[in-house]
Amino acid sequence: MLEQGQGGLSTRGIVISAVLAAIAIFLGASRLGFIPMPTGINATIMHVPAIVGGILEGPVVGGIIGTIFGLYSFFYATTPMFKDPIVAIVPRIFIGVFAAWTYVAARRAGREWSAITLAAIVGTATNTVLVLGLGVARHYLPSRVAWAVGLTHGIPEIIVAVIISLAVLLSWKRVQKREARARV
Amino acid sequence: MNEFELLRNITIGQYLPTGSYLHRMDPRAKIVAMIFMVAAVSFAPTILGNACLLAACLLIVWLGRIPLGYAFRGLIPAIPVLALLALMQLLFLGRNYDPASPVVFRWGWIVVTAAVGRLVLVSAARFVELLIVTSVFTLTTRTTELTHGIESLLRPLRRLRVPGHELALVVTIAIRFVPTLALEAERLMKAQASRGGRFDGSRWRVVDRARRLLPIVVPLFTYALRRGEELIVAMEARAYTGGAGRTAYATLQGAPRDWLAPAAALAFCVGMLRAPFPF
Repeated sequence: MLEQGQGGLSTRGIVISAVLAAIAIFLGASRLGFIPMPTGINATIMHVPAIVGGILEGPVVGGIIGTIFGLYSFFYATTPMFKDPIVAIVPRIFIGVFAAWTYVAARRAGREWSAITLAAIVGTATNTVLVLGLGVARHYLPSRVAWAVGLTHGIPEIIVAVIISLAVLLSWKRVQKREARARV
Repeated sequence: MNEFELLRNITIGQYLPTGSYLHRMDPRAKIVAMIFMVAAVSFAPTILGNACLLAACLLIVWLGRIPLGYAFRGLIPAIPVLALLALMQLLFLGRNYDPASPVVFRWGWIVVTAAVGRLVLVSAARFVELLIVTSVFTLTTRTTELTHGIESLLRPLRRLRVPGHELALVVTIAIRFVPTLALEAERLMKAQASRGGRFDGSRWRVVDRARRLLPIVVPLFTYALRRGEELIVAMEARAYTGGAGRTAYATLQGAPRDWLAPAAALAFCVGMLRAPFPF
């Protein structure tokens, strides 16, 4: 079907951004997107829609999903660090953008699954590093605490994000190519 | 069965109709005023400046005729986190933050300088002020007004290829899709539970909890993408071509007095950032 371009955002871009942003909002609002950790701080998978959007439709869509996720997290934050727009919104814009660029670069060099894995790692690391980095720069966190949180939460978040991105994208790409079939 | 009731527990942008000046204000003016207030709060570095901002925030609550309980609803659950943040700042920042500042308290390796004390107060005040500004904004603005406002504000940027209409549509569809996703997630959770799946568990069994999430989250993504594909076909079948040349049934008609609020917020923002407060 012919794609209708409008101001740099196609109908596909609009709809995919919207449904994936809706997943990010839903994961936050329902608390399903938080995984409680022994440290008392929750790990999150709310950034995964931005990674999936970036891989499927490119950096613009990834950036839009990340921005909506950031705005939601700013408006409904219950902690001082995420009630600061510089920490809550700015880092989230780049999650999908960096994931998309990584996916395009890695896809040229390798297989589909390795490109998705790399993009999910870069997207999640972008979120963790930028949020904690800006948290330190805005004096919400001492750097020692930021390092500890980054290591204890960043790594589990990366693992979960890679598993979800791989499961979603590999199955979705099979559906699109009409390779997926019911087994019963 | 409460754990499966996702739809009932999800609220996005609770609107509290009191018919105040803020409720009747043009959403474009309200968005601009909110951005200036958020900027002023985010960058005000002094205690006196934040005291002025706190007074301004209380004035906003009064202007919106919002009961104080609503405006401060998010504050009580956040008090333990605020206390933890203050403790971390007092214990760990020490001389690393503004080494020239005089020491006001010393006990063993714990050093508290005047600058750190000020930072603790400013961080807490900033949280309270931002909580009030965002609460009042969501309590006085309907989501439809918000999307119309975004679209109208971004219209002049169309020449720079910023797709204002399309971005507003993204927000509209996203908000519309959340209840649909909640219903589907409820269905998935019930399907998993009927087959023996569980979603609770100890905080210490992280891998287990993450693994239990996958049978819900992965089908939810696939469902959303499939619904998205249907919507794309529906929109293209109706010859949707974006915002260019499009007219709207309801147009925003702001009165000049609506723009008093953003003008006052801008003046406040500049004043807060440039005023030479002593502390």
